[in-house]
Amino acid sequence: MKITRIKIGAGSCGIAAGATEVVDYFKKEVRDIPIVEVGCIGHCYAEPLIEVETDKGSVFYEKVLPKKEHLDRILGLKDEGRLAIRSQRSEREKIKVLALAGRIDMTSMDEYLANGGYEGLKKALAMKPADIVEEVKMSGLRGRGGGGFPTGMKWSFLAAKEAKEKILICNADEGDPGAFMDRSLMESVPHQVLEGMLIGALATGATKLFIYCRAEYPLAIRNLKIAIEQIYKHGLNKLNARTVEFRLKEGAGAFVCGEETAMIHSLEGKRGTPRFRPPYPTDSGYHGHPTAINNVETFGNVPLILREGGKAFASVGTQGSKGTKLFALAGDVKYPGLAEVPMGVTIGDIVYEVGGAEKGSVKAVQIGGPSGGCIPADKFDAVVDYDSLKSLGAIMGSGGLIVIGNDRCMVETARYFLEFTARESCGKCTFCRIGTKRMLEKLEKITGGRGTEEDVAFLADLGPKIIKGSLCGLGQTAPNPVISTLRYFRHEYDAHTKDHKCPALQCNQLSDVKIHLDKCIKCGLCIKTCPVHAISKEFVVDNAICTRCNSCIEVCPKKTISRVEKGTGYYGKSGGN
Amino acid sequence: MSITITIDKKPFAAEKGETILQVAERNGISIPTLCFNQKITKTTSCFVCLVKDAKTGRFVPSCAMEVADGMQIESDTPEVWDMRKTALNLMLSEHSGDCEAPCTIACPAHAQVEEYVREGKKGNLLEALKLIKERIPLPMSIGRVCPRFCEKECRRNVVDKEPVAINDFKRLAADMHYDSYMEEMKPFTGKKVAIVGAGPAGLSVAYFLRLNGVASDLYDKMPQPGGMLRYGIPEYRLPKGILDKEIAHFAKMGGIAIHCNKELGKDLAIEDLQKKYDAVAITVGSWKSSAAGVEGEELAVGGIQYLEKIALAGWKGDNPGKTIVIGGGNTAMDCLRTSVRLGSKEVTCFYRRTEAEMPAEKIEIHEAKEEGVKFEFLVAPVKLRKENGRLVLTSQRMTLGEPDASGRRKPVPVPNSDFDTVADTVIAAIGQKTIAPKGVKANKWGDVEVSKENCRMEGSIYAAGDCVSGPATVVEAVAGARRTALAILAQIESKEFKEPYLLNVSRGKWQSLKTDDLVFLKDPIERKRTPQRLIPEHDRVTTFKEVSLTYTQAEITKEGERCIECSCTAKGDCSLKKHSETYTAKPDAMVGEKPNFGYDVRHPEIILDRGKCIKCGVCVKVCGEVVNQNLLGFKFRGFGTHVDTAFSQPLPSQLCRDCGKCIGECPVGALDWKLKK
Repeated sequence: MKITRIKIGAGSCGIAAGATEVVDYFKKEVRDIPIVEVGCIGHCYAEPLIEVETDKGSVFYEKVLPKKEHLDRILGLKDEGRLAIRSQRSEREKIKVLALAGRIDMTSMDEYLANGGYEGLKKALAMKPADIVEEVKMSGLRGRGGGGFPTGMKWSFLAAKEAKEKILICNADEGDPGAFMDRSLMESVPHQVLEGMLIGALATGATKLFIYCRAEYPLAIRNLKIAIEQIYKHGLNKLNARTVEFRLKEGAGAFVCGEETAMIHSLEGKRGTPRFRPPYPTDSGYHGHPTAINNVETFGNVPLILREGGKAFASVGTQGSKGTKLFALAGDVKYPGLAEVPMGVTIGDIVYEVGGAEKGSVKAVQIGGPSGGCIPADKFDAVVDYDSLKSLGAIMGSGGLIVIGNDRCMVETARYFLEFTARESCGKCTFCRIGTKRMLEKLEKITGGRGTEEDVAFLADLGPKIIKGSLCGLGQTAPNPVISTLRYFRHEYDAHTKDHKCPALQCNQLSDVKIHLDKCIKCGLCIKTCPVHAISKEFVVDNAICTRCNSCIEVCPKKTISRVEKGTGYYGKSGGN
Repeated sequence: MSITITIDKKPFAAEKGETILQVAERNGISIPTLCFNQKITKTTSCFVCLVKDAKTGRFVPSCAMEVADGMQIESDTPEVWDMRKTALNLMLSEHSGDCEAPCTIACPAHAQVEEYVREGKKGNLLEALKLIKERIPLPMSIGRVCPRFCEKECRRNVVDKEPVAINDFKRLAADMHYDSYMEEMKPFTGKKVAIVGAGPAGLSVAYFLRLNGVASDLYDKMPQPGGMLRYGIPEYRLPKGILDKEIAHFAKMGGIAIHCNKELGKDLAIEDLQKKYDAVAITVGSWKSSAAGVEGEELAVGGIQYLEKIALAGWKGDNPGKTIVIGGGNTAMDCLRTSVRLGSKEVTCFYRRTEAEMPAEKIEIHEAKEEGVKFEFLVAPVKLRKENGRLVLTSQRMTLGEPDASGRRKPVPVPNSDFDTVADTVIAAIGQKTIAPKGVKANKWGDVEVSKENCRMEGSIYAAGDCVSGPATVVEAVAGARRTALAILAQIESKEFKEPYLLNVSRGKWQSLKTDDLVFLKDPIERKRTPQRLIPEHDRVTTFKEVSLTYTQAEITKEGERCIECSCTAKGDCSLKKHSETYTAKPDAMVGEKPNFGYDVRHPEIILDRGKCIKCGVCVKVCGEVVNQNLLGFKFRGFGTHVDTAFSQPLPSQLCRDCGKCIGECPVGALDWKLKK
């Protein structure tokens, strides 16, 4: 086998794992083989990841370090260190949108073109706008940003407008904690997203193409800028008789600017707050011009639809949800990363088969980020589909999927997400601005061990009212994590308030720390690690001093330290219960 | 009119482009709004105008939602009300301010204290009197004898621990203008009420009825009207000449007739009164001294009976000799100081707790001491006997134990600590009880039993004052009497009596506040409380002359300048308060952290009090869209959102033309003129 090229995953996930050093090292040490920086293939757990292209196909190496030993292993195409792509994962995944992600040079238009890039645009250029819209309608593509509005329909609204200026916006303000589908797409295959936008412009008659990308994505912004330059250079922005212009706007960090009306305000230079709809942006959007806003992943799907045809696209998926969906898989799984699955797979498939979580180790998933809800393990046979997830109290959302292991507290999980939305509320609507704060205060009280049954009743009462009384998607979904955990994990709330116990022993005020001396080897690592000197020479944790930072638990080589029920740990003289 | 929608199942014609709110308002359907303002583009932030779209099941802000043909709107269902109330509860939960000044809230009669103090300060004492008399029909008396609930809560205490001398404003206003003042009264309705007892409660019932055109006949068992004001409060605190002048005013009002020497059960029968009058009010007071429950106590005289006897004699009497007064309340102080004035050289108070627990007013204790009264604390009577023509009181020493139901530490006897004291007069002033007249229902404490809701005993018989509450203060009797009078009026007019729900947001009690917790329209003036001038010491111990002197007008102006005017600048003009009262929203329904973004008084005339801001955004848009200046904007996000100027600079006077448009449109008191009118 002859090595033709070495590709190093240098997306943000790769860089975070040390890919920059690997790239530098390989470029310095290897002279005769081209070294290429690519994006992410989705196996983030294995970063830094290297794909070695040979005349006989590719070989992948995981967790590569800038070391001679690793370099030799790769150049020698040894078995050691190879990435084992498990068969269960390959069976469950259906790689379509991500087909080129991590496989081609992030910044090379030629490579994109060589792999079928801009074929969709070419087809579209030969079609009537109405036919493009029809094709997208036929594909059944629904908005991947979370709402699930049929893309073809949205485009038909904009196409129907007679206006001098029409705006098409790509929503790249991905802000859900734990979500990185859009980032990965923009970094790895920026041209695919831009091609989708150009097709959208053809279909709708849009004259200006905006990308609103969060400033926290510098690599995505760089790659998009490079790709836009390349498009201009190739003249691909000349859509038959007219020329369209791209404009890249960096967000200033407000989560709410992912909401379309807030995003428009932000683009206009105003404070990023949503406004009441109607009028919908397709009637009056950016500076009053008809405007349509689609998500990054939605645009990423469009070239495929044009290339293979709407009908073929629709052959994958369920009755109401077509195609594939990207999920950012995080939390208590063995193999976190980006997964692309066909609509219709079960949650269990994603958690166990793709994520590699052990059966019985997981109690729920949080799907749809802070706006979504939790789905308990006994409902994991639910399929990934806009409507079925909604009926369970969760949402498809943009694709954040956080797996919650048995040792996590669901009340604390709800508190974590609500803390995020309460902080990110734009502060405009009464229910969202004050209501989420009041709910958060109750959750803090409950996880702090001071909660009462009345506090739980307060949450159950106010949550649905915030949903009903808020203007935009943020407020309308913010209470979901609380409502869904109340629905499926009420017993955990009751344990906190009635018995003053945290069943998962996660809440600091409701748990103690104990060293189980029978298995302790007295290595002393815990004593050295403890930042507050709470562990005595006799290996006893003084819970009056302990801050429940978990450092000792993490450092113990024999796993003899654990959290125990409040009051069962030792309390020294310096404090009491 | 091309479209038809229904609101609460009634069809209405509407035009395309109209909002639900426009259609509702045109048709007289009331929907509350806070952030809606016709002068600016929609803000859609407050969500109190929510209605339900029955077809979609969604709640929509009616100020922004445009009508569509066939729309079915619910505006008056319990669900919609609950949503609006929740929005208001949430806003109130972060609202910092004082709808009313704490003095007004503390006053049992809820007189408009800050307002009459301001009028007094400006020298408009007639205007002050008018405000006082809206709630207090006896300002000459109350201006002298009130224990000053208002001053105990006065926020001036935060500044220098000395409240504004509020009560003295009443006294001066009344003393100056009582002869000429006459209130506006409704014409007579032909209705008439019998009032039994012409004390503060009875007179006040008569007063509030008369203001509303209802005449009354007052009956009193004593030879002269005034009740406790005449027979229970000594001349040196309330000269009876002043009381006569105060009572004479009731006769001047017309329609109020006072019949003395008429006792219910003896000279009058309640059945007859019921037949003859449209209603009857029992206001007989609480006149019987409580028993001490010790052996030989018949040898002692009851406190109130002691004062009554001397009052009947025109504040004259024999020297009581060596006097012991048992008790620590105001009546005990009155007995002590009266005994001094009758010539006794040895007057001692026996009280079973310590001075800190004494229920009497501090000033009374202080003045009693000045007049030579001695105090024996932690002593309780055991036995009273007569020996060689003199009285011998056996007492025991006490010590303080655990707190009792009143929160005060309970006195516990010290074993074998009995001791004897010889005295000529022993007065038991340990409390009073109501003797319910014949035909009147009494509860287990002996007080007249009335409904809490409407002060009614039964049928058309009502009651008010001490005989309902047990012995209390004049101002409390007046407050209760007003309620009773309004309840009687409602019955006369065949209406249901319901006290309106009044919202009051408060920054809290001054004891728990620091100056940083308060908002000052201007820096508080540095000035100590004006001391009350008293008559010479010699006159105090030898005569019954009034001890204290009325403040001069100059003193009142100086004292009024100490008021920090803590009530809301938007009083009477606050939409949040108005809607909260309609929807019974409460400040403590959803308690939690209140944001503290401070306030801005750097503009010479305008205050921005962010604690009151509801973040509706109207001011921001008014300044931007109407005035075209954009001087105001929102800062931060979530719960931290608040209105500020660019870089928190003072409102620039070149750009801010002090037009006040933002103030005019602010639905609450967040932006306002500093000067209170």
